[in-house]
Amino acid sequence: MKFSDETLLAYLEGSLDEAEVHAIEAAVAEDTGLEARLMALDPFAPVVQQVFDDVPAEVPEIDLPAPTPQQYKSGPLRLLAVAASVAVIAVSATFWVTRPKALGWAEQAAIYQSLYSAETIADLDNSPQKLDAQFAQAEAQLGRPLNREVLENLPGLDLKRTQVLSFKGKPLVQVVFADAQGNPFAFCVIRQGPNAPSKAVNLAVLSGLSTATWAKDGYGYMLLGGDRETDLSGELHALTAAFAG
Amino acid sequence: MSTEQAVRGAIQTHSKRVWRFGLALSGASDVADDLLQATALRALEKHHQVTSYDRLDSWLMTICRSIWLNEIRARSVRKAQALSVTPEAELVAHGPDSETNIFAAQVFTQVMQLPEAQRETVMLVFVEGYSYREAAAMLDVPIGTIMSRLSNARQKLKTVMQHEAGDAVQRSGK
Repeated sequence: MKFSDETLLAYLEGSLDEAEVHAIEAAVAEDTGLEARLMALDPFAPVVQQVFDDVPAEVPEIDLPAPTPQQYKSGPLRLLAVAASVAVIAVSATFWVTRPKALGWAEQAAIYQSLYSAETIADLDNSPQKLDAQFAQAEAQLGRPLNREVLENLPGLDLKRTQVLSFKGKPLVQVVFADAQGNPFAFCVIRQGPNAPSKAVNLAVLSGLSTATWAKDGYGYMLLGGDRETDLSGELHALTAAFAG
Repeated sequence: MSTEQAVRGAIQTHSKRVWRFGLALSGASDVADDLLQATALRALEKHHQVTSYDRLDSWLMTICRSIWLNEIRARSVRKAQALSVTPEAELVAHGPDSETNIFAAQVFTQVMQLPEAQRETVMLVFVEGYSYREAAAMLDVPIGTIMSRLSNARQKLKTVMQHEAGDAVQRSGK
């Protein structure tokens, strides 16, 4: 059953009768695209979200035990292992003391993306129906279009999947592609809020991946290649033009 | 990256969200502090159970809620569904515009006065941005229950928001 935006808004305002309410709730249980539409239309969510956005104002403190060293099995190299584990403790302790305050979204996204291999994306179902639902959900969460026609026509890249992640409560969308050799390639978009500063394109190797990041009009963008050598210039040209604001 | 490192990273990254959820569950900042600390330690103990780094945030939220339900709420006097004391509205950020601040405090108070089931659902969906089905999985209820809790919460929030809209019209009409 199709529901108009007006009907969905009436549901959210609580002005539908019981039968209509049941029809919508039953349909949402079966349809993630409808769920995403309904969530995007909800006038209450952004108001409440904004009120709680800065609660708590400061990052709360947590007292954690020192990281545990690697476990070694007993054996002929046991003594060496003990010596090594002492070194690991020292190094871990140093790492812990000098750890960065908190990783930014781009660093976190690069760590996550670096875990992808050709096998991760080989069997993804990228049928149009799957992608339709994924794009509907991702665009609803982000509150902006993802220029799917541009993403589908990037030279040498095959669009595999779009999924919604989250970074510090902000929706972070990861679009994964396979290059001609089947290796993963990704484009990420995060909603940073209207007050986020715009940033020019910055190229960097993060977690062993060649990356380009930029920010514009409240959204952050990141392109991630399959390794540190990947040349991003072709995709970057198309994407900075398509996501210029 | 080991699972322990991933869990440590997630604890740092999501500490504000877990604290906020702890506040919504308990209604008290000091209990939220305790809940966050207990959640972090429990998550570290259980890091071996982590099989995917995808949704460590919702995993932490689930741990926080289970500690609240199983270990802390029973000790609390507030056994009733609603909080007997509305928590610190001054937790809400103060902007330069006092009318906005008053409105924010009213919305905050109204959310915190919701019955616990509605309150936790509103926090997960409206504030933390989880989908209905994600919230349903985290709270272990059907998706329809999530939707009806949100509908009930909206009816209560509506009174604050309509009042505010009326005020805004009055102000602009001056």
